[in-house]
Amino acid sequence: MKKNVAVKMKINGTWVEAFITQKQTLLDFLREDLNLTGTKKGCGTGDCGSCIVFLNGRPRTICTMIAVNANGCEITTIEGLAKGTELHPVQEAFMQAGAIQCGYCTPGMVLEAVYLLEHNPAPTENEIKEAISGHICRCTGYVKIIEAIKLAHDKLLKK
Amino acid sequence: MVEIGDRIPLIDAVEKVTGTLKFGSDFKLPGMLYGKVLRSPLPHARILSIDVSRARKLFGIRAVVTGWDYDLPLYSVAGEKNVDERLLAKEKVRYIGDEVAAVAGVDEDTVKEALKRIVVEYEEIPAVFDPEEAMREGAPLVHENVKQNIARIMRIRHGDVTKAFLESDAVVEGTFKTPLVHQAYLEPHSAVAQWDLQARLTLWIPTQSPTLARMTYANALGITQDKIRIIQLPMGGAFGGKLEYKLHPICALLARETNLPVKMTNTREEEFTATLPRVPMVTKMKAGCKKDGTLLVKQTEIIADNGAYMNYGPGILLSATTRHDNLYRLKNIYSDSYLVYTNKVPTGCFRGFGCPQSFFALESIVDMLANEIGMDPAEFRLKNASKTGDITVHNWHLGSCGLSEAISKSTEKSKWYNKRRELKLKRSVDIAYGIGLACCLHVSGNRTFLPFFDGSSAYVRIDEAGQVIVLTGETDLGQGSRTTFALIVAHELGIPTEWVSVPLVDTDFSPHGLGTFGDRVTTLGGNAVRRAALDAKRQLLDVASRDLGVDSSKLIIENGIIFSKKDKNISMEFKEAARIASHRRAGAMILGYGHFVPQNVSMVDPETKTGNISCAYPFVAQVAEVKVNLKSGDVKVLSLTAAHDLGKTINTLMAEGQVHGAIAQGIGFALSEEMVVKKGRITNPNFKRYRMPKAKDIPRIRTIFVESNDPNGPYGAKGLAEPALTAVAPAIANAIYHAAGIWLTSLPMTPEKVKDEISKMKS
Repeated sequence: MKKNVAVKMKINGTWVEAFITQKQTLLDFLREDLNLTGTKKGCGTGDCGSCIVFLNGRPRTICTMIAVNANGCEITTIEGLAKGTELHPVQEAFMQAGAIQCGYCTPGMVLEAVYLLEHNPAPTENEIKEAISGHICRCTGYVKIIEAIKLAHDKLLKK
Repeated sequence: MVEIGDRIPLIDAVEKVTGTLKFGSDFKLPGMLYGKVLRSPLPHARILSIDVSRARKLFGIRAVVTGWDYDLPLYSVAGEKNVDERLLAKEKVRYIGDEVAAVAGVDEDTVKEALKRIVVEYEEIPAVFDPEEAMREGAPLVHENVKQNIARIMRIRHGDVTKAFLESDAVVEGTFKTPLVHQAYLEPHSAVAQWDLQARLTLWIPTQSPTLARMTYANALGITQDKIRIIQLPMGGAFGGKLEYKLHPICALLARETNLPVKMTNTREEEFTATLPRVPMVTKMKAGCKKDGTLLVKQTEIIADNGAYMNYGPGILLSATTRHDNLYRLKNIYSDSYLVYTNKVPTGCFRGFGCPQSFFALESIVDMLANEIGMDPAEFRLKNASKTGDITVHNWHLGSCGLSEAISKSTEKSKWYNKRRELKLKRSVDIAYGIGLACCLHVSGNRTFLPFFDGSSAYVRIDEAGQVIVLTGETDLGQGSRTTFALIVAHELGIPTEWVSVPLVDTDFSPHGLGTFGDRVTTLGGNAVRRAALDAKRQLLDVASRDLGVDSSKLIIENGIIFSKKDKNISMEFKEAARIASHRRAGAMILGYGHFVPQNVSMVDPETKTGNISCAYPFVAQVAEVKVNLKSGDVKVLSLTAAHDLGKTINTLMAEGQVHGAIAQGIGFALSEEMVVKKGRITNPNFKRYRMPKAKDIPRIRTIFVESNDPNGPYGAKGLAEPALTAVAPAIANAIYHAAGIWLTSLPMTPEKVKDEISKMKS
């Protein structure tokens, strides 16, 4: 397929210009063209949350989103979360709490948790469950993910 | 110091949490092509012609291959003698999804376009979807050479069943059905293949068993094993679904044809349509006991749906037929089991290997018996429970058995005895509460299908910089086996875990190992790794001994320092000793070696199916508390108290995670998951309509570890991950009976089925 559409997006703080195809998804553009493979493809129908990025500051699934429609947008992927080797407190909490097994849902879950804690610094357990209700994790049974988000809240308080 | 039982985060957690870990589906090679499979749209048809000319002509297409282009051999999975499939169909297609052709091209869109241009002329023939119908005389044959579509029959006879039924005070029976369910690992199957000039194939694949894969793919491609190198890539979940899989060698065909690297990745729809979900079973079970609760006899018939091709069905059916007999001290057994071909997706391994199916029947039947004689179900189980030192009816030697303790602890923590009485009082017109118990067991490595091989081996390498590398043939599916191995090595060498790395398997460098399934890795692999670490330690201390002038038996290592037991001032850094060891031997590294072959373990007898198939057996008791809406039929699990005899906890953090994850999958199996098949077509091949538990569906989970210290496990450790799923569905079913007085005998226990049973009971 012809890559003849010019787009420009600010990705992880840097403006990126590229030619893409008309029907290419944003996920495909990130993973295949930019090699930003931290954003995962689990279902291809927007039902598992593995492909969540921040699009203009809000988490959204991008496996069904046409990349052309993100022209001019600001995108943060999991690769843009840590500051160099300094991990985000949510990332630290996920590690410490054992909230990671295979790790495939982790980037999406982490970004969702970051967004939640930015907008609701002290979420209840139900609010945490609600926030990650669009995500599927097949390994952890969500128990330690919920613990990690609570732990991240404590870490952020201490900062 | 790292201790056994510590809480250690995954050694690859940083890569995972930053998105930098390259999973199989993330892996790329320069100049690679993309491949896709053309699948059969019909459940059963003869292939009359295949025209690929228009596909070949498409701009950007580099290869189109079909089963008519090559003389592809018949093959099956490792150890299976009944070879019944080719990489690409030749005469017939046998299910919707069957592989007919494969295409490689410059990008996925072009390849998809080429698939549309392939014209296959089919002659549709009658298909059979229900295993019971498939077994009838005159049913359409999925494979012409297999009479009545029966791929395998097992008949097990122990004791005197007729007499035991006559002596029984209570007899109950039921028919239990478990559906087609998918492992639904989050990362779809993926492969990258490339051939070199010596006609040697390299496959970069996420697989549970690189060596089984190599064995099977060599057969499928008609080449020898030495011509294949498998490089294991990290995988986004597996749960039994990432053993041998056709996509990998098909990718190799395309790479050979184009002489370029080729990558293939399944869509989620292909995952549901054409991978290897759990074997559905219909289990008819009848059992009898004495008034005092002594379990006397059990008669079982299992009909298992193999789907269109042979995978690990025989092993899974054997497991379903025999394993549950070892949970209680049961002596009179009569079992007939049938593995039956149908024109549906082939079925395979999924966490539990036949046990989630059969224990659903057994543990429901046990509650029915207890109910029949008016005995508490926990007491009933305690009365009959197998114990340490038992030799069971199938000749299993239980070196450790924490079943009774697991029952006691799970009932105690869940306030079982109070709740059995009091929950009934909480009942309102529409809402009923109940509490149910179920038990199960498993193996720690299973001597099933390879007569020539068992056990595990490992190398622990210490280089001149003091870096410790563990080479193993076992694989990490995300459960954290690499972290477990690092913990064991760090513990034995007295160094921080961070100094230890555990590379993924590469068949050119790693020891030959069977990989990860059957709860074998911690027990067998852990023993091997521990022995290799001790061997490396001995070698390192010999070096230090010479420099320190202290006999090596008088030296110990703690926190990376080697010192004399008598005088702590006589010391040397671990890394310094490693440097000296290497320099003194012209760069040769310390290479510790260890292997573990379980003793007193054997394949089953071909006739009786008896045999001590594992060196250690884990046991489980789980208590589920439920709320049943009698009007809507909705079942909510309120809590699960899970007691697991895992022998010994090695990494507590990840062990808890195994229990949580298995329970979530168990709840899905119990209440919501089902691949709906209509005339051979999966009608819900996506995550929107295949309903897996989300965060809100998970109840409070209490995890209890019972440490029975198995004599054969490393530090006493046994398996954990698989049986943690098995007990969930029957525990919930028994809780529903306690709440509402109805037996749900067909999974998933959907609101419709619950409502049906309630209205049946009322009328």
